[in-house]
Amino acid sequence: MTHQMTRRSVAKGLAVSAAALALPAIGRAQAKSVKIAMIAPMSGPWARQGQLLRMGADLAVEDTNARGGIKSLGGAKLSIVYADAGDSTEKAKNAAQRLVADNPDLVGGFGSWLSSFTLAVTEVTERAQIPWLTLSYSDAITNRGFKFVFQTSPTAEWQAAQTVPTALDLAQSATGKRPTTVGLIMDNTAAPTSFAKPLREGGFEKAGLKLVVDQIYTPPLSDATPLIEKVRSAKPGFLLLLTSAMPDCKLVLEKLDEFKLSHGKLPLVGNGAPFGSPELLKTIGPELLEGMLFSVANWPMKGQEEFIERFKKKTGEPFLTQDGLCGYGHPAILAEGLEASGAADKIKVAEAIRAMNLTTGPAAQCFPGPIKFDEKGRRIGVPMIFAQWQKGVPVTVFPTDLALATPVWPSV
Amino acid sequence: MSPTVKRQLWAILGLAVAVLALMAFLQSDYFELVLTQVLLWAMMSVAWNILCGYSGYFSFGHAAFWGLGAYTVALGLIHLDLSPWLTIPASAVVGGLAGALIGFPTFRLRGHYFALAMLAYPLASLYVFQWLGYQEIPLPMKREAPILYMQFADQRAYVALALGLLVITLLISLSVENSRFGMSLFAIKQNEPAAEAAGIDTWRWKMLALMLSGALAAMAGGLYAVVLLVVTPEAVFGMLVSAQALILALFGGVGSLWGPVIGATVLVPLAEGLNAKLGDVLPGIQGVVYGIAIIAIILLAPEGVYWRIRDRLAGLLPELAPMPTPGATIPAVPRAAPSPTAGKDLLVLRNVGISFGGLRALDGVDLSVPEGGLYGIIGPNGAGKTTLFNVINGFLSPERGNITFVNESLVGLRPNQVCRKGIGRTFQVVRAFTRMTVLENVTVGAFVGAADAAAARHMAATALDRVGLGARANALAGGLTNRELRLMELARALAPQPRLVLLDETLAGLGHDDLDGILGAIRQVRAEGVTVLIIEHTMQAMVQLVDHFDVLDHGRLIASGTPETVVRNSEVIEAYLGKKWAEQVAVAVK
Repeated sequence: MTHQMTRRSVAKGLAVSAAALALPAIGRAQAKSVKIAMIAPMSGPWARQGQLLRMGADLAVEDTNARGGIKSLGGAKLSIVYADAGDSTEKAKNAAQRLVADNPDLVGGFGSWLSSFTLAVTEVTERAQIPWLTLSYSDAITNRGFKFVFQTSPTAEWQAAQTVPTALDLAQSATGKRPTTVGLIMDNTAAPTSFAKPLREGGFEKAGLKLVVDQIYTPPLSDATPLIEKVRSAKPGFLLLLTSAMPDCKLVLEKLDEFKLSHGKLPLVGNGAPFGSPELLKTIGPELLEGMLFSVANWPMKGQEEFIERFKKKTGEPFLTQDGLCGYGHPAILAEGLEASGAADKIKVAEAIRAMNLTTGPAAQCFPGPIKFDEKGRRIGVPMIFAQWQKGVPVTVFPTDLALATPVWPSV
Repeated sequence: MSPTVKRQLWAILGLAVAVLALMAFLQSDYFELVLTQVLLWAMMSVAWNILCGYSGYFSFGHAAFWGLGAYTVALGLIHLDLSPWLTIPASAVVGGLAGALIGFPTFRLRGHYFALAMLAYPLASLYVFQWLGYQEIPLPMKREAPILYMQFADQRAYVALALGLLVITLLISLSVENSRFGMSLFAIKQNEPAAEAAGIDTWRWKMLALMLSGALAAMAGGLYAVVLLVVTPEAVFGMLVSAQALILALFGGVGSLWGPVIGATVLVPLAEGLNAKLGDVLPGIQGVVYGIAIIAIILLAPEGVYWRIRDRLAGLLPELAPMPTPGATIPAVPRAAPSPTAGKDLLVLRNVGISFGGLRALDGVDLSVPEGGLYGIIGPNGAGKTTLFNVINGFLSPERGNITFVNESLVGLRPNQVCRKGIGRTFQVVRAFTRMTVLENVTVGAFVGAADAAAARHMAATALDRVGLGARANALAGGLTNRELRLMELARALAPQPRLVLLDETLAGLGHDDLDGILGAIRQVRAEGVTVLIIEHTMQAMVQLVDHFDVLDHGRLIASGTPETVVRNSEVIEAYLGKKWAEQVAVAVK
């Protein structure tokens, strides 16, 4: 398909230049296309995430053009250029600078997955006044007073604050009871540490929870037995599992299984899209993962069934994840911005996104809550999504109106 | 100023002009960004080279300095609202201090151990900065006074800044290369014990090199933070940073001023170009191509591009850069008349002992050498002769006993301090600085007694003339014959005009003709008033040379006296030939 696309665009390009040679003015007026960009790691340790984003983006561009392109621009086709952010902030910044230099006609873009890369990339795009979307959720991205950056994921601080109360709501809605105790197993790397900090400093108390197990380890974990022994004797209402490396997660799950705490006996709650990745399924297997819950910024929801099937068929992926979804959603938002502004002009597109309040349409369908940004470029009115592993697939189970399945919250 | 230095200054000026011309020609923010990175990485690699290229102490951990510089700038701006105009120079101080802190424990190690230990510092810093909560530090955009905060809309300003810092770094590196500092580092690289024995305070120079290198690397890291605008521990303390500094220098030529610059000029744009051309087509292939390019160069030019080109040019034009022969123009320094203290004890050992495990290498040795004497120490292999020298000149510290030189104790002094007191030494296995010329080899030794580099060269030339090696002053030490090497080492020991020289088996392995030349040189030295203490295990040549023998066996002094009496001593014969022979000789004498 990509090959076909390329051939088609080459053919079109030739046609355009031929027309331009013959009849310059008319040629330009008729064959308009608007260009957006994606910067994501497509080589190095995060290459897989970049590929997933790209699969989603290809589909979005295809769909938009199949629907007749940008109608307010006379049916102008959407085209997308890709740049590899590689494996370092330096490479990501270079990619952004190169993209901006080579494509002065960019009207918008998105990327580049890892928040430190996004920080570097947006330093370039902000100065070039290109509206830029990102799924990275570091608070720093939208704390810099930038005008052209839009963060479609709720920020890390917000997620940390929302995960535990939402988990309690979920338990209440599933069982009619709210847990009163919680256990915490985490490694001491950056993300879990900043996630747990507000919880320890009064967050648990405010949620009416008593922390009965509090275990911090330095990765890699060599043996999870002492951790799980503590869990077994303290019997928390649920266990917050904040691991950042897959092997550690596996060890904990295996040990829980050995202690007969798995298969939904003890509710498990994680945070972040890595807890729902196909790689996790491949490494750990469906049995151990069964029943595990995780909060996440965005996950396939009700109303996307047709798209989920199409994505799986087209890409051969076992299921759709946040990356594929946002890969589709970001070009869709840019297309809406172009449609609303009626101009292939980056500043006008940025204005249109700032004024946006979408609840229907292909873009709105890709994200929970309305597509609406505050003055910092953060989303307004977003619910915390929970997904749960059920029979080898992580499915959205909360909030109920977006859920694709009913949550299972066993009583301990 | 020497013509070599002048040429290098012109080359640096040429580089600056070329970069400025390129900058005027490039009309793209992107190319200007890449050019800035080339200059910054070149600066980092030159900084790395000041320690690692010159002294031979490889560091796998220069990211520690780069990262500290980057964080100094980032945190200074965020917490204290300090402009990078202030914090980049401040990061030099931070880098220098970090160099001192790192060097203090790490210079206890040598070779691979040092290189590997250096790995620890950026790794530890990475975790420390993560733990401190500095995972992602964006430099805030200053909309009010951007220039005051080094934030320019025009990328060319960064090119100019990076160029300025690189030129400063090159000038520093050049002045190091052509001073006592650089010469000492070269000597350390080639043979650290010899350097120490030649009076070089190796510890001090290594520390200075690490501090200077760290300061410059930190400045480069500081400007890098300003250019990248985001600082993360992985980006500035990561393994890639240390590796980059090292790879650029290895590729371009370690130990040369221009090697790192060549490396950065070729490899940084190559990597970026490959990323740009292949990154979105065949992601990952750029790394493979980059790796192959490096391997190819390493196979074709193992010592780096610079040395390869230089060797080629030198092969084509052997008369390139001829050096004046100082020996021909400088008159020998007339040695003062015999010292008024002649005949009094110069070096005195009392009851000196040292053991290695259960082996008593020296056991209660008493020895006196009068000023102006030519004393020999003989004994069979393993008698403790070289250990005795090592104890005198400070490589080893005696466990018992006392050593005085002109009534001052030598115990506890480091070799370079002993050398400064006026004791020179040579080694059993010649320890030459093979990539340096004969004159440079000897100049290293002369620094101890010289006020400046010119004086040291003068003293070195004089010493070469004294031993009759003046004509070979500009030859590379690597190409000398055994006899010439021995003479060169003698000259190196004599250059700072010591009162006592310790000669360790200077006559070993020499043919008959060579022997005469060396014996002549030693007699000449003695005639000029220098006291000589010489070790040998063969007695023949020594009998002709010395006026007093001390005989060591199993760490003990077994005989002492004039050559004639000592060779007849039955204990000595027994030590050399066994008890049976001693008895036979005794019978024959009767």
